[in-house]
Formats: sequence, C-alpha cells, structure tokens
Amino acid sequence: MSVFRGFRAILYKEFLVVLRDPFTLFLMLFPPVLEMVAFGYALETDVRRMRTALLDEDRTVESRRIVERFVNTDTFRIVERVGSAEELAAAVRKGRVYVGIDIPPGFARDLEAGRTARLQVLVDGSNSSVAGSALNTAVALALRESMERLASAAGVRELPFEVRPQILFNPAMRSPNFFVPGVIGVVLQIATTFATAMSLVRERERGTLEQLFVSPLRRWGLLLGKLVPYLLISGVMAFALFAIMSGLFDVPIAGSPWVLALATLLYLFALLVLGLLISTRAQNQMQALQFSMVFVMPSVFFSGFIFPRDTMPVVFRAIGACLPTTYFIETARGVVLRGATLADVAPHLGVLAGMGGILFVLCALRFRWKLG
Amino acid sequence: MSAGNTNAMDGPMIECAGLTRRFGKFTAVDDVTFSVGRGEIFGFLGPNGSGKSTVIRMLCALLEPSGGTARVGGFDVAREPERMKPLIGYMSQKFSLYDELTARENLSFYGRLYGFHGAALRRRFDELVALTHLAPYLDRRAALLSGGWRQRLAMACALVHEPAVLFLDEPTAGIDPVARRELWGLLFDFAARGMTLFVTTHYMDEAERCSKVGYIHLSRLIVSGLPDDLKRLPEVNPAGTRRIEVACDHATAGLRVLRGLPGVRSATAFGQSMNLLVDATVTDGAVRASLGAAGIGMVDVRPTGPTLEDVFVALTDRANGGGR
Repeated sequence: MSVFRGFRAILYKEFLVVLRDPFTLFLMLFPPVLEMVAFGYALETDVRRMRTALLDEDRTVESRRIVERFVNTDTFRIVERVGSAEELAAAVRKGRVYVGIDIPPGFARDLEAGRTARLQVLVDGSNSSVAGSALNTAVALALRESMERLASAAGVRELPFEVRPQILFNPAMRSPNFFVPGVIGVVLQIATTFATAMSLVRERERGTLEQLFVSPLRRWGLLLGKLVPYLLISGVMAFALFAIMSGLFDVPIAGSPWVLALATLLYLFALLVLGLLISTRAQNQMQALQFSMVFVMPSVFFSGFIFPRDTMPVVFRAIGACLPTTYFIETARGVVLRGATLADVAPHLGVLAGMGGILFVLCALRFRWKLG
Repeated sequence: MSAGNTNAMDGPMIECAGLTRRFGKFTAVDDVTFSVGRGEIFGFLGPNGSGKSTVIRMLCALLEPSGGTARVGGFDVAREPERMKPLIGYMSQKFSLYDELTARENLSFYGRLYGFHGAALRRRFDELVALTHLAPYLDRRAALLSGGWRQRLAMACALVHEPAVLFLDEPTAGIDPVARRELWGLLFDFAARGMTLFVTTHYMDEAERCSKVGYIHLSRLIVSGLPDDLKRLPEVNPAGTRRIEVACDHATAGLRVLRGLPGVRSATAFGQSMNLLVDATVTDGAVRASLGAAGIGMVDVRPTGPTLEDVFVALTDRANGGGR
C-alpha cells in the first residue's frame, strides 16, 4: 500500500478530469474510429471495375464477344464509348477513364483468317497499382483466349498445364483483411501515447505536478493512477475498433478473441507507458506531441503495417523490431486471419510484455522525484 | 498528521546551513544559512531571480541541494523527504489547481491524496470550507474562480493535512487588498496555533508583519533576523546620522530642494511626506529654512526610525560595493 500511496486519489482525480470534459473524451475516441474507417477503405488495393472507354471500330460479333470477356473479369467497366482514337486517348489523358480499349477494323476478319487479331489497350500509368492490375488482366485474358482457340483448333480438350493455387487464409484475398488489423495497431498507438504524455505534461505546465511532488504521493502511485484510467478507455476503444473490423469490414476473427484481448492489453500498456516516458522528457505539450510523432511515424512505415518487413533493408527491419506495433500487428494478423493460438503467438506476446515492463522500469527511474 | 508530529522537539522548524544550489555553472543559491522557529512567520524577500523560489523548492524537497543541508521539522530534506513531506504544505505562486474540476473536487482530491476518506474527509472538508469561506463557490470550476478565491482554494488544499510548516510562494501576488488583508489575518491565526510559516513576498508592508525576515540578493542571503534587530544594525544607521520624517504641502518640490541640501544623504517620498537620512549636524531648523526659502509651507519635521525598506536598501548598497 505504502509504495502505491496516493494511487486511489490520483485514480479518482483522473477519472473526474476525463469524464468532466466529454469533448476531450470524444476527441480521444472519435478520431481513431474515423481513422480506422478511412484507412480501411483507402487502403483497398484490390482493383475492380476500373472505368474504361471503348473504341469499337470493328463492330462484329467477335469484337462484342471480346469486350464482354473484358467486362466479365470484373476488372473493367465500360463507362464511355468513343468514335475515334483521338477521343480515346483524350478520355485517358483527362482522367475520365483509367483504361481505353481500341478494337481496330478487321479484328474479326483477321481472327477468321487465322492471323493475329490485334487490339490495343491504353492504360493510365500514373497510378501504378491500377496500371499493373489492368495490364496483368489484359495480358492474361489474351493468353487464355489464344490457348482456347489453339486447343480447339488442334482438337485438344484439355490444356497440358494447370496450376491449382489454394490460398489458405483470406481466400478472397481481400485487402481489408490484411490491412485492418494493422490499422488498429497504428490507430491505437496514435491515441494512447499522446493521451498519457499530454496528461502528465499538462500537470507540469500547470504546476500541479509540483504540488503532487510535495505531497506524500509515491511515484508508483502516480504512474499507476495515470495508467489505469487510460488503459480502460483505450481498452474500450480497441474493443470498438475490433467490432468495426468484423462488422463493417467483414473480417471475422478466426482465432480466440481472448488471445486477441490479451495481446491488445499488453500492447496498450506498452504504449501508455511510452507516453509516460515521453512526459518525463517533454517540458510542454508541444514537445510531447513532437516526441510522440517520433514514435508514430516509424510505426506506420517499419512495422509491416503497409510494406512487408521481409523486403526491407536491414536498418529498417531493425527499427521495426524495436517497435511494439510490429509485434502487435503480427499477433493481430495471426489471430484474426490465421486463427493462431496462444502458443503460436506467445513469442510476440512475450516481447510485448517485456517491452512494457522495461519501459515501466525506465519510466520509474527517469521519473524525477525532484524537478531538477 | 497534526502539527505536533515532528522530529524537532524544541529546535527550529526550518534550518538551513550553507544551503547551495548550482545549475551548471550558475549558482542560484549560494551558502544560505538561517533558521525559523516554531510559530514564527518568516518573510523571505528579494528581487525576481535572486533565488527565493529555488530555496523554497529545496526546502520542499522538489530540488536537491548541491551543497549544505536543510532540515524541515527536524528531517533532512535530501535524505528523508518521505518523512518530511507529510509535515509541510506548499502553496505555489500559480495557485496550482485543476481547472476542469470544481472547487469541491479539487479540495476533495487533495484530501484523498493525504489519506483522508469517508467521514474524516467530510469533517476536514467542512472545517476548511468554514475557515476559507469557500461555501458559495464549491461547485464552480476552478478555472472560473477569481484570483482571490483561487488563492483561498489553493490555501485550503495546502492545509488539508494540517501541516506543521506552510510554505507560501508570493501568496498575495495579483490579488485585491481585501483578500490580501484577510489572508494575513489567517496567517496570524495559524502562527498563533503553532504553525510555522515561510512566506516569500515583494511587499515591504508584508515584510513588516513578519516575525522574522530574510533578504536574498544575487543568490546570497544578505541578512536575516527580527525586523527590529535589523533596523538597529549599524549599516542601516551610520554613525553621525539620524532619520527624520518631513511633511509639507508640496512634497515633490520639497524633495528636490532637500536633495540639494548639504548633509542630506538620502531622501525618499512617501505621499505627502519624505523620509530623510541626514547628518546629525543638519538641524530641523535648517530643513524648515531651506523649504521655506523655496516657498514651501506647512512644514512638520519629526524624528523617525528606519523602515525595512531602508534596511534592505542599505544592505544591498553595501553588498554591491559601497554607497551610490
């Protein structure tokens, strides 16, 4: 009890301060939800139903059939029919469409005659992921059509090769499934680290920290009193984010929700303590904000949230290895997508717990009992 | 938790010996030695940046001394801060309160911080509200209280645990004269009940009310002692001089005249009168005559003693290396 002296008083006060100002609470809870929804939708890298313009100069059954094949891939969507090559180029240039399909006159005739029937696909290369996807789909479509014609001409009923890929997890290869657990990791970091850093630095600025130092309050009491309310609030927030994930983005949690909850708790603890550690350095709220950003930015880029860590240069991978977010995202993806068990993710959980513990000790040591 | 629970049986409640604090190469507090007995009101004066707040922070264990020792209530502030802290109350210059909490919640928080709860908390709460007359403002947010009421609330918070020693850092800066007088009324009450008070201030009239004063200048304590003893110091009353108070109908013009009179060492205006330090050879008659010659009438000359301001001016001059 005496080591934690003042814990209950601080707890009482922190809850009052947080609840007193619903607007601040709202500002703490709402942006993460918004960021989650925005990130989740924005990071949709599946390219579907691209706006496409069509120039059909052949106007035959064959040309209509090939266009139908394009549309059936679900990658292209004809939104515009144009009358000349210039119009087609202009439609792409002006950004009205991503793709232009030009079927020249004599397409069906060439096909009939056994010559190579050519058609042109214009792709807007200024958006690389769209361009790549359009290109792959168009090339694959041409190959498949060719093979089918050659096979039937040769009287062959089955193609010599076939690959049967089986995608084990996330079989639909939907990108929300891949990104949303990562988004939750990053969003939680933004909200929590700021919260505790600000809360202590505000006391320093206002001079109430000095007042606390004069009292018989012990540092463990102060640190825990600051941590517990924010742990509860961010826990509720994490719960909401996972609910949005499975509700709005249709990403079911394949593994045990309890393992996910444990990972979240350890992660939040590490982040909140990181915030406290920042507050021992930062003299004012501006500095606290900047220090927090120092940790947020690498978490976005080096945690494997967007870019796979395996392809990163060693330095960036090393940075990633120091970030709690990296381990949380690994764990969350494992549990949510692959149904990983407690034993599977235990090493990650161990690292998260270790980080939280080390940061807490550092914090207690760094916490200057005197304002030197 | 009461004022009796200290380690100092009959010794001084605050005792500094050679107290020093350096920040890098800068010495903010240099070899400060003084003591304050139980029930005394110690007025700590000095210009901004002279080291007042640094001393108070060391005495409250907010800052570690670089040298020397300080004991409060008999406990060494550097070695036994955890035993010393329950004895002290501290009211900072900013009246540090939680702005988003009401007066009631602020006071209640500090009560809990010092280990009060349940009926004991309610009882102590009511006592403090009665003492500071905060009742009508209890449900107002601290941010919306005026300076005087903020100060009372901060005071109530600092008194929650009935400290044996109360430190007040410029408690009257920026509050109205009525609140100022009432605060001093309270301080005298506390002192009469055996509480030791350590007050920093800029106001000379407040210094005059203290039972003991100290003056710090450029990090060094120039003097400390009872106001009457200080006023009798030879540096303040140079041999062969006397102090007179001169009232007349035109004090500003009179000041100019008297400053030109041979044998007048210093002259300071106080409203319609002037305080002069003159050579003993300057007679009251000579003063009247010179003022009369300048057409200034209704002259009244009477002997007077030095004020604390005179004391501090004289000692600062000496510390700066002689008169000006």
